[in-house]
Amino acid sequence: MSTLTFVIVGQEDHPIYEVDLTGPKEQQTQYLHQFVLHSSLDAVDEQMWQSKEPHLKVVDRFNGLSVTAFVTAGSCRFLMLHDGRSDDAIRSFFQEVYELYLRVLLNPFHTPTTRITSREFDRKVKLLAKRLIG
Amino acid sequence: MFHEKQSGPAAAAALEAVGYRVGQQLAERYTRDKPRLGDALEIIKFVCKDFWQALFKKQVDNLKTNHRGVYVLQDNGFRWLQRLSAPPPGSDPAREEAARQLALSYLHLPAGIVRGALCHLGVSCTVEPDPKQLPSCTFTVRVM
Repeated sequence: MSTLTFVIVGQEDHPIYEVDLTGPKEQQTQYLHQFVLHSSLDAVDEQMWQSKEPHLKVVDRFNGLSVTAFVTAGSCRFLMLHDGRSDDAIRSFFQEVYELYLRVLLNPFHTPTTRITSREFDRKVKLLAKRLIG
Repeated sequence: MFHEKQSGPAAAAALEAVGYRVGQQLAERYTRDKPRLGDALEIIKFVCKDFWQALFKKQVDNLKTNHRGVYVLQDNGFRWLQRLSAPPPGSDPAREEAARQLALSYLHLPAGIVRGALCHLGVSCTVEPDPKQLPSCTFTVRVM
């Protein structure tokens, strides 16, 4: 039973985008995953100020699942809940999603504090996950 | 009344708001591959160097601070004011004042951009533009 959930949290600590990236047939109950991800925001906050690197490796662990984080310059956090996937794969995934996220941000009709509802973005993120993380 | 709308305070506020959004987006874009910035001074230095370079093709010439949250960014030769003809220094003050007012109306947008960039990167502030001697001008950043 594999776990792979991806969340983008904005500057005011509200979720901007959430998606479950496990394989096409497995869609699990999201509640526990969401809870774990949001509670790991504190751990991300602590580590954020200690390093200048945008990619923080695993910031929090819970029950065998770990949370990896990526922080952008505008204090926007990408969080990934997974069960021990390769850190390099997640790092390259974060880089690519960062590019996509920048393009969404540059859209003049998009406010930085609202949810990302674009289906294209959703589709591309899922494709990226399948390609890079498997 | 049309003229009032074009040049009154409402226009200035609208320009500044547009600049604010653009500044946020540009800040996110230009900090792409750089390591994250720590305190306010580093963020302002980034704005003075990389951000200014990308936007106005040069860096800020002079940065002053009173170490209590006020920073003055001075740009001698602000690109967006280059084509504005300046009255020669020493001519009558009314003309200079009129030129200053005109330049000010062009400076709302860049001031908004600077404010948007700074606020997005975590420095909540106000930015006041001041065209001293065309084409040089200063931006006073007051951190809140």
